[in-house]
Amino acid sequence: DETLRSLAAPPSPPGQDPQGWRAPVDCVRANELCAAEPSCSSRYRTLRQCLAGRDRNTMLANKECQAALEVLQESPLYDCRCKRGMKKELQCLQIYWSIHLGLTEGEEFYEASPYEPVTSRLSDIFRLASIFSGMDPATNSKSNHCLDAAKACNLNDNCKRLRSGYISTCSKEISATEHCSRRKCHKALRQFFDRVPSEYTYRLLFCSCKDQACAERRRQTIVPSCSYEDKHKPNCLELRNVCRADHLCRSRLADFHANCQASFQSLTSCPGDNYQACLGSYAGLIGFDMTPNYVDASTTSITISPWCSCKGSGNLEEECEKFLRDFTENPCLRNAIQAFGNGTDVNLTPRTRLVPVTVPPRTEKSPSPDDINYSNTIYDTSIITTCTSIQEHGQKLNKSKEQSLCYSETQLTTDTMPDQKTFVDPKAGGSRHWAGRILPTVPVLLLVLVL
Amino acid sequence: NRMKRARARHKPCALKELEVSVSELGLGYESDETVLFRYCSGTCDTAVRNYDLSLKSVRSKRRIRKEKVRARPCCRPLSYDDDVSFLDAYNRYYTVNELSAKECGCV
Repeated sequence: DETLRSLAAPPSPPGQDPQGWRAPVDCVRANELCAAEPSCSSRYRTLRQCLAGRDRNTMLANKECQAALEVLQESPLYDCRCKRGMKKELQCLQIYWSIHLGLTEGEEFYEASPYEPVTSRLSDIFRLASIFSGMDPATNSKSNHCLDAAKACNLNDNCKRLRSGYISTCSKEISATEHCSRRKCHKALRQFFDRVPSEYTYRLLFCSCKDQACAERRRQTIVPSCSYEDKHKPNCLELRNVCRADHLCRSRLADFHANCQASFQSLTSCPGDNYQACLGSYAGLIGFDMTPNYVDASTTSITISPWCSCKGSGNLEEECEKFLRDFTENPCLRNAIQAFGNGTDVNLTPRTRLVPVTVPPRTEKSPSPDDINYSNTIYDTSIITTCTSIQEHGQKLNKSKEQSLCYSETQLTTDTMPDQKTFVDPKAGGSRHWAGRILPTVPVLLLVLVL
Repeated sequence: NRMKRARARHKPCALKELEVSVSELGLGYESDETVLFRYCSGTCDTAVRNYDLSLKSVRSKRRIRKEKVRARPCCRPLSYDDDVSFLDAYNRYYTVNELSAKECGCV
């Protein structure tokens, strides 16, 4: 019916994903919508049988399989997404990959993330964190931020319970030969990062340090002796294959690549200048085979890596180094961690909460493929009505060396165009994230230039 | 002021909490980490049972002489909080159980 038709996306090459701005249906729901339609459900059943235990090429050699895949590209299953920590997350991801593994080679360096784009910003966390800051008189603890973070967690029942949960699991000795149960430790870590609000977990994970004791505490956060280190250090591409064999790990890795991939076209080196999204997908990798951590307790240079090396890469040395550099020498990830530690955030994009309710909707019609060309349509009819609220907001930002400007609509279309290019990263999912945030905020365009 | 102090001393048995450092717990761990310590405090005057009155009477008649007995209820934890884990000054993790009270009562 109508919902189904409006959800069906025109086929487009995967990876570019220009439909990202449309509120995506989760794949569990899309599966239900598909099951309600006989033609969709039968094709989906066919495709699942095609994919079961076969690689992409053998699957596509079958005409029936190919036809099923083509039809499903028009269904809500095609552009469905999942949420981190949602109910039935694994089921959702299984549905996602059942379609997308057929669509892509499945061996690409970067894969599209099955998760919904993150729209919240670091500043949202700071606002929440300021509630706690009152109880940290920083004097008695010699301003060890990692110690303050542990205190904040211990004073919150939920955080304390789940932190103690993973610490006791990860430091429990099994036998003389087995140091700990890595499987149980990872599970407990995932529970901690999924169920405890990020204002607690990020503080523990990304606290800024001036001395080595603090940096060592930060490195110890995930109990690396059990969750991270291993007797054997595998090759990174080998480890990536292990990760990609698991739907959850594969999804979290794709999400990390989508949100933390260094982009040289943005100010912060992050896709869409979104630090929060990068830190979130970093934390999302903890508790899987690709668990990352600080490699040492250095206070000056932050180096992150999964437990792997590029030894024994053979002719894939270059690819391996490229993969590893996304962790070890990633300016986006490093900037995001430092920004969190310093309590700073960039405000390049309009904030949803600034949207006044009185502004009439720009368009009544349902989204049509024409709207995908957002580069022009989004700007031309927008009217600034809330300069005062923007200026209020801007004053706060001025303190942090940032300047806000209030533009008229004509200025916007002309002046912002050169800047806008910085958000569009053709390789990454950057354009999708940017578009996803701008659409609900079309009426108000707050342009804050970081000087 | 004295009245206030007197009244505070006669508050009924209840759960109270305090932020203390792990080192202050006196369990032999060296750590600057702060934990929430919940303890039971207050009087149990209203919880005196016939048992307590009788025991007091029997004792005063010197029918019980050599044994140690307690003829009044005591404000104690009825249950304990979950485990508490922390990192010590030597970067080792420890987990302590039954550290903190969860529920108090006159027993």
